[in-house]
Amino acid sequence: MRVIPLVVLLGSCLAVPAQAAESWLQRLAQADRQSFQGTFIYERNGSFSTHGVWHRGGEEGVTERLLQLDGPEQEVLRVNGKPQCMSGVFAEQAIDAKWPARELDAKQLEQRYDLRVLGHSRVAGRAATVLALIPRDQHRYAFELHLDDETALPLKSLLISEKGQLLERFQFVNFEPVDQFAAADLQPSDACKSVNFTQLAELPASWQAGWVPPGFELDQALRRGSPSSEEQVACLLYGDGLARFTVFLEPLRGDVLAEDARSQLGPTAVVSRRMSTADGDMMVTVVGEIPLGTAERVALSMQTAATVESTAQ
Amino acid sequence: MSRETLQESLSAVMDNEADEMELRRVLASAGSDEELRATWSRYQIARAVMHKELLEPRLDIAAAVSAALASEALPTQARSPWRMVSRVAVAASVTLAVLAGVRFYNQDELSATQLAQQDGQPELTLPQVQGPAVLAGYTEPAAPLQQSAEQAGSKWHEQRLPSYLRQHAQQGAATGVDSALPYARAASLENR
Repeated sequence: MRVIPLVVLLGSCLAVPAQAAESWLQRLAQADRQSFQGTFIYERNGSFSTHGVWHRGGEEGVTERLLQLDGPEQEVLRVNGKPQCMSGVFAEQAIDAKWPARELDAKQLEQRYDLRVLGHSRVAGRAATVLALIPRDQHRYAFELHLDDETALPLKSLLISEKGQLLERFQFVNFEPVDQFAAADLQPSDACKSVNFTQLAELPASWQAGWVPPGFELDQALRRGSPSSEEQVACLLYGDGLARFTVFLEPLRGDVLAEDARSQLGPTAVVSRRMSTADGDMMVTVVGEIPLGTAERVALSMQTAATVESTAQ
Repeated sequence: MSRETLQESLSAVMDNEADEMELRRVLASAGSDEELRATWSRYQIARAVMHKELLEPRLDIAAAVSAALASEALPTQARSPWRMVSRVAVAASVTLAVLAGVRFYNQDELSATQLAQQDGQPELTLPQVQGPAVLAGYTEPAAPLQQSAEQAGSKWHEQRLPSYLRQHAQQGAATGVDSALPYARAASLENR
């Protein structure tokens, strides 16, 4: 691991920019209290789409409407992060996750990412400052954020792999801060159906990852019905404060056809591995914005709590 | 006809959404319009890269399509939205490699993406950082991954992976800060 000493060395040389980067992150963490509207593009390997966003901040909470402008009319209205209505396929499988609305924590991120201000840029006709979060190990991707000088909102966000290849691009085409929204702007269309949340039970601590990349923590463990069988699927949600992955564990019940699989959808790695347990075979699937090899290693390390205990003894 | 209109028609052709008028318009213009042909060719390369197919960049697509059109209408086929989720079996040796370290992966995608980046979009790369580029430090040559052929009959994954991906994306959207990005990720999963 000869990368890390290099980073440490660089970090000490660039102490001042790192401080600046930290203050930018703090501004970013507060930025969604502001109101704005705009249009942005999202691009990843094999997909390009355009979206409108209407975001009302303020003391009484955040209301946000997002609408895909090309192709299928996909719409979401959220109040304080919780979906109120969703259109199309979104609505069918809405999940009432109580994902801890983690604030961006500069101190926490700094342990895993090298924070730097790279310079200045211009996005959507506005002056922006380029902030880079470069991972200190190979288990996560680099972020390049172009933060609006005025509002500190991300006007452009790039995810870059360890090879320097672009995995996804989020970028505003136009952006304007708004003082007062017209009621119609935050009014969803009729196609936006109110959400039926799938009830999720807390998962007893029956499963555990034997290994996760340093800095990733278990945020939540849930259990839900399988989308295609009567089985219960265990879901383990991990995050490092920025990157996230979810581990799904579903019993196979003698389904001999299910194979190991892995694939990459833009930034999202998907790795499925069959695993034998005392109660029969399970399929372990890791889904997340982490390198494929890291996902694979997490999938391989999954074990039942019983195993963990016996190893500890 | 304005250049924008023509460009739009070309995009429609590329997205398989063009009507016959648009297709004929593009084909007719491609015959005489050097610039349009170049654009088309670039789109093809970008498309090929996205779909991980490599093709000869100078291949004259217009001529081939014209010929095909002359003989019969192009059939449209229903595509499974999850066809992109290609399944690749993992060789036993890969497991060992994972235990040893993870740099082994994504080699196969590298060349394709580099091609995309060379294609008139140099801004895709990370801006130059001062001093030795840390990202470059990761770029070590590694043995190419041995991938076996795509598995047939992995119905299990077809039924579940879309839902898993959706759930993962939606949970991200609940985080609050920068919620538009996970939303866009989730939306992009439904677009194919």
